[in-house]
Amino acid sequence: MRRVSMLLAMMILTLNACAFSRGTLGDEIKTETVNLIKKGVTTRAEVLALLGAPDRLLQLNGRDLFQYYRYDAKVGSLLLIIANFSRASIKSDDLFVVIAREGTVEEVIASKRTEGLEFRFWPFGD
Amino acid sequence: MSWNRSLTLLFPLILAAALSGCNVARLTINTPLTSDSVAFITEGRTTLADVIATLGAPDSMTDAEAGTLVTYRFLDAKYSRVNFGWLLKPWSPVDPDLIFSRSGLGTDAFELLCDNNWIVTHQAFVRHRPAPPFTPYPF
Repeated sequence: MRRVSMLLAMMILTLNACAFSRGTLGDEIKTETVNLIKKGVTTRAEVLALLGAPDRLLQLNGRDLFQYYRYDAKVGSLLLIIANFSRASIKSDDLFVVIAREGTVEEVIASKRTEGLEFRFWPFGD
Repeated sequence: MSWNRSLTLLFPLILAAALSGCNVARLTINTPLTSDSVAFITEGRTTLADVIATLGAPDSMTDAEAGTLVTYRFLDAKYSRVNFGWLLKPWSPVDPDLIFSRSGLGTDAFELLCDNNWIVTHQAFVRHRPAPPFTPYPF
């Protein structure tokens, strides 16, 4: 108990400040919107109506590839009197829609990595 | 007060003063992949859907002569800095700086080549990412 109190007192005495920062790039890609896209059914025009113009448009062996992305960055800083620790974590949500030659969706590839993104201070370890 | 006792008292003060100019920072972009995390991929058998189910969507997909090139990018950068000039602060009329700092960019990418049926035909890491250390000593 005495040890815990000492540790707590040390932390309070040495804690100078802490900071939280966040930055995002792009619009959120909603899962319910992605679920509306059906392979072999949804057309190119419907994809554009649902999601807007893609962030990138590429060609894949004669097929169109629409790429949508969103980035989320979280930075936590622990500013102690004796040392400063900070950690920045960036993750992205990506959605790829492959449009077949006939104009319907051939493949939908999506994942939300930003859902598990946390504010972290400690730079060591994983 | 004995010389040894003076040193014992002085040492934590010197250490605290030295650490006052100490900064440790880290930047992580995406989850770094290792050879263990991609061990489930078997060339010629695993499909892109299987890969996405485990690793999530890739960062880019581009057209290649033999199919589609799928890329997962990640970065793990470390930075540490110590300012030994802080040790002289109590005795100096100016703010002296003697800074040792070091950054390490552990950047890498994992690439997959898929055929027209979305089956992985080749896989490889672009670099063998050396884990950068948190060591401010630059020499």
